[in-house]
Amino acid sequence: MNYAFFMGCLIPVKYPGFESATREVAQALDIELADLEFSCCPSPTVIKLVHYDSWLALAARNLCMAEEQGLNILTMCNGCTNTLKEANLVLKKEPALRKKVNETLRPWGREFKGEIEVKHLLDVLCEDVGLLAISKRVKRHFPFRLAIHYGCHFYRPPRIMYPDRLSPSKSLVPTQMDDVLAAVGMNIVPYSRRLLCCGSALGTKVDIEAANEIAREKLGHMADRQVQAISVGCPSCFEQFDRAQVLLRNKHGQDFGMPVFYISQLLGLAFDIDREKLGFSEHRIKVEPLLDGQARQS
Amino acid sequence: MIRPMGESPKIGVYVCHCGLNIDGSLDCEAVARFASALDGVVLARDTLYTCSDPGQEMIKNDIREHGLNRVVVASCTPRLHEPTFRAACTAAGLNPYLLEMANIREHCSWVHLHDRKGATEKAKDLVKMAVARVKLLEPQVETEVPIMRKALVVGGGVAGIQSSLDLADSGYKVYLVEKEASIGGRMAQIDKTFPTMDCSICILAPKMSEVGRHPNIELLTLSEVESVEGYIGNFRIRVRKDPRYVSKECTSCGDCTHDCPQHMPNEFDLGLSTRKAIYSPFAQAVPATYVIDMNACLNKYGIVACDKCSQSCRHKCIDFSQQQEVFELEVGTVIVCTGSDVYDPTSLTELGYGRFPNVITSLEFERLINAAGPTGGHLIRPSDKTVPKRVAFLQCIGSRSKRANPYCSNICCMNTVKDALLIREHWPDTKIYVFYIDIRAFGKGFEDLFQRARREGVSFIRGIPGEIIQDVRTGNLKLIGENTLLSQLYQYEVDMAILSVGIEPRKDSAVVKRLLSLPSMADGFFMEAHPKLRPVDTPTGGIFLAGCAEGPKDIKDSVTQASAAASRANILMSKGKVTVEAITARIDPDVCTGCGACAKVCPYGAILVDNERKRAQVVEAACAGCGTCSPECAFGAITMRHFSDAQILAQIDALAENGARRKILAFCCNWCSYAGADFAGVSRIQYPAEIRIIRTMCSGRVNPRFVEHAFSKGIAAVLVSGCHPGDCHYINANLQTDKRVQRLWKRMTRLGLDKDRLRLAWISAAEGMRFSQEISAMKEIVERLTDDEIQRGIEAFDGKERHSSKEEGA
Amino acid sequence: MKTPDLFDEELLYECYQCARCTGSCPAALAVEGFNPRNILLKCLRLGVEAAITDEKLWCCTTCHVCEDRCPQIIDVTDLLMTIMNEAAKKGYIPDKVKASTEMILHTGRVLLVSKRVALLRKRLGLKPLRPVSVEEVEGILEKTGLAVLMG
Repeated sequence: MNYAFFMGCLIPVKYPGFESATREVAQALDIELADLEFSCCPSPTVIKLVHYDSWLALAARNLCMAEEQGLNILTMCNGCTNTLKEANLVLKKEPALRKKVNETLRPWGREFKGEIEVKHLLDVLCEDVGLLAISKRVKRHFPFRLAIHYGCHFYRPPRIMYPDRLSPSKSLVPTQMDDVLAAVGMNIVPYSRRLLCCGSALGTKVDIEAANEIAREKLGHMADRQVQAISVGCPSCFEQFDRAQVLLRNKHGQDFGMPVFYISQLLGLAFDIDREKLGFSEHRIKVEPLLDGQARQS
Repeated sequence: MIRPMGESPKIGVYVCHCGLNIDGSLDCEAVARFASALDGVVLARDTLYTCSDPGQEMIKNDIREHGLNRVVVASCTPRLHEPTFRAACTAAGLNPYLLEMANIREHCSWVHLHDRKGATEKAKDLVKMAVARVKLLEPQVETEVPIMRKALVVGGGVAGIQSSLDLADSGYKVYLVEKEASIGGRMAQIDKTFPTMDCSICILAPKMSEVGRHPNIELLTLSEVESVEGYIGNFRIRVRKDPRYVSKECTSCGDCTHDCPQHMPNEFDLGLSTRKAIYSPFAQAVPATYVIDMNACLNKYGIVACDKCSQSCRHKCIDFSQQQEVFELEVGTVIVCTGSDVYDPTSLTELGYGRFPNVITSLEFERLINAAGPTGGHLIRPSDKTVPKRVAFLQCIGSRSKRANPYCSNICCMNTVKDALLIREHWPDTKIYVFYIDIRAFGKGFEDLFQRARREGVSFIRGIPGEIIQDVRTGNLKLIGENTLLSQLYQYEVDMAILSVGIEPRKDSAVVKRLLSLPSMADGFFMEAHPKLRPVDTPTGGIFLAGCAEGPKDIKDSVTQASAAASRANILMSKGKVTVEAITARIDPDVCTGCGACAKVCPYGAILVDNERKRAQVVEAACAGCGTCSPECAFGAITMRHFSDAQILAQIDALAENGARRKILAFCCNWCSYAGADFAGVSRIQYPAEIRIIRTMCSGRVNPRFVEHAFSKGIAAVLVSGCHPGDCHYINANLQTDKRVQRLWKRMTRLGLDKDRLRLAWISAAEGMRFSQEISAMKEIVERLTDDEIQRGIEAFDGKERHSSKEEGA
Repeated sequence: MKTPDLFDEELLYECYQCARCTGSCPAALAVEGFNPRNILLKCLRLGVEAAITDEKLWCCTTCHVCEDRCPQIIDVTDLLMTIMNEAAKKGYIPDKVKASTEMILHTGRVLLVSKRVALLRKRLGLKPLRPVSVEEVEGILEKTGLAVLMG
């Protein structure tokens, strides 16, 4: 399994631990990752809202780079996944737009042909690697109560993100993170408003305090179920939960104390990969208190 | 008095204004003037309302005074007023089959509102085609067919019960076929009715008993219709009756249930309680005989492993050897009352139905507060059996939604108002919230009930919750949403939430639909013959509709429709005979070689082939007039009365005389596609004016040589349109249409013609929008056709027409 | 009423103001006065121009839960995106958004690698990031008109 590794803007620059963890997990699962000169995806919460055409052109450029190498794209961030999948779908389906974009990209020798697919790490794990292969590599179990936060851009809107699973009557409810984490024996706990947004985009665009209110709503419901840790598949969601807890502690005196983990870090822990490689130093809510009291040989 | 055939045609043409309906978008006067110049036309008038009494009188006078022997009325669709004008002709002494109508309203003025020139030209063409056809029409005599004075009612809910009683009281024998073990339907399940707050089963039970003991009603429960053959007045129905395993001696004492070891969810209580394998559906069940559910019973395949019920039964009425029975019934009319199911809100994952025990549907709520229900009428909530102090109703669940059913389900608003008042009455301290978008309280007494609810302190909040969440510890629910009237977000905590689910046609009504060849709308409800004037008739003669099978409605409307349907059936059966339209097939014995090709395609088996005398003959009473046999005959031996080849070809010639190059010819079947085009007109859906429609009874009537003739005359494009496969009004005649068009396409490709010039479309009576889209698509094809292409078509088929395309290597 | 090509305005007529969208909206929860249902209604009745000047407009997190729950399957998020595009054309862009956009325009990324992060990457055994062709990115964004929009 060979993929073009799309890391996005946040992970390699702010949370390189996620990148490191993902590389380690990929190696353990025989996934080969190629590094290309990708730019910002670009973000669906910033440039797309300012100028759709620019967003589409930059996204197309990234897709072309992967096409040129004949590789599907593996993404680590919900936002990148959303942008690249949507651009891929739109350009494949609308010949007029494709023509316009190719015209824009022509001076740099790029042409969108619609030959590749874009997959989030979770989909690669579920569909290409398989849950059985993942469960075989588990060496340690962690019994802490884990809440799963998929985030919004991972699967909404379903007509773009998962058109094959689209049903006019039933809202799509994702299961990939549940499946993967269950395969490594994590203790997944349900909580209310699981599919609610983390609020990150509101903070980065306009008002961080308001955004924290959204995070607070979610953290409150998690606390209701005695959740001890949160799992996310996106650095923006990570930052939102991680930072909000600090800010809420300072402002309201509320201490949720739930360390946030990126999905690869949890897999890394389960595979018993060297913790130094999983990059927990950048976490504001420290993970050590939870992990050191919790590890159990499998 | 029938005019002798030798006379030359003296045609009277009437172009109707229909007020402004026709005259508003085309020039009726000009069309009348145009008509007066046509060969054979003696007089042409444009009139304001031809169907009115003065209008009809005028036609009758003209027939008498001017000796008219043919009449053309250019006005609305013949599906509306052909009988009216036929009656006028008959009254004036002219054979009614010498009338032709040109549809210049539904197919012209209403769909070309902004193209006066195009519409007027088209109207002229349609009149010209009508005149060409009417010249070749022959007087016909209708045969009479006896009608059996027996009726079949499918479905034993309140609609089925009412129509059965009405017909039985009128003296007819009625077979009431019900799928479940007891009649009663939905009305037996609900607690109270609105707006009267009557106990539902209390007012239904006496009617149910009456059905059970009526000498004219044969009640067949646990029964389903398996097959339907025949036609109006003479239906042959096969009904399958599953065994009860309990005989009629059962006194409903209930001793058998005590020892039965098997428990099942009770369907009548929607799974909120259990029953045994041997059970009675509910206390007032008719028939009262108990029934054994073989899926639950331990005895299968004839082996009696457990006989606990038998042992307890003092009357010895349990009989495990009972078998399935099959009945062959002969009836004159059928009334379809298959009723409704409720929407399943599990798909609306954000509401938590199925995950949170205290989120229930309105029907489940009816069972909860019903004194005969699982809790003995105590309002307690499922999670912990406590009495809820705060209750919320959510409206429009599964209705008015593209994600579920797009229509409004009619009853949910009033049902909630009624339920709110019931809760208030018995548990006055309960806080009740109703989350709505619009409250529909349109019927008699409805607004009063709604006002009462508001006065009683029920809170109506405009804004459906986006999400329901549950507090796991208490089972309480939180409804999160926005109050649109205050533009404020809300979060209400309640003990129980009731989803006002919409209603849908019963899932198995699709089977009945197929058996009876009934059209239905996209939402699955059966379609009536005309939404305003024939609300309980189906397009098929002798079959009627009543109740929720036709659309969501309350009990009053179901009962009204049921009596209406019974009355309609009565009209047919009281006369004892019905005249069969004179459109049947006739085989010329001198030309026929007895090859049997026609018999093979007849959907009714109405053609008998005598192999010895090498002749085929039509059984007139069984012939439905679809015309599928005629194109099959290689020798031209079959004539369709009133829809002959010569008449159709004359229409094509009239159409092609001028400007054929820009015209689209459409063959539309009477029951689906022509009706679909009518529906487009009624809905005022606009489409290009290049199209001209020729009506046939069935798309199977379309002989490939009609299409070839059209191309040979330079017509740009041809559409052959019929009912959807599986929905053909004449069972399966449209399969032949499909074959013939496929063969034509092959021919066209071989001859180097663009096969896009011939299109095949399956368009139902409800698909007005689709019809218009077909025409728009065809116009694009016409625009891109070159003169060269047209010429090639003319040359390819000129003089090469054959009697049937069977010779082309079928 | 004219809306740009990005959104099918026919869909707006389908809305019967049931409020499931605003009821589910995280931004409506957090920001007083942010109301997608209201924005849709304004657009329908008063035109895009009326919706552009809504100062709360940019609060949308683009989570798409509104269109997921809408019974008429209206793409509310796309509508808001369309209005924001129009607002940007008229110069109404929040400061943070403008700053991020300019960053992409000039560097091809939203964030640049600092010395500290470079060290951290080394410690984790990660290779330095591959560079982005700024010339290409800027060129493309000039062609699409973003450079002009940003001034």
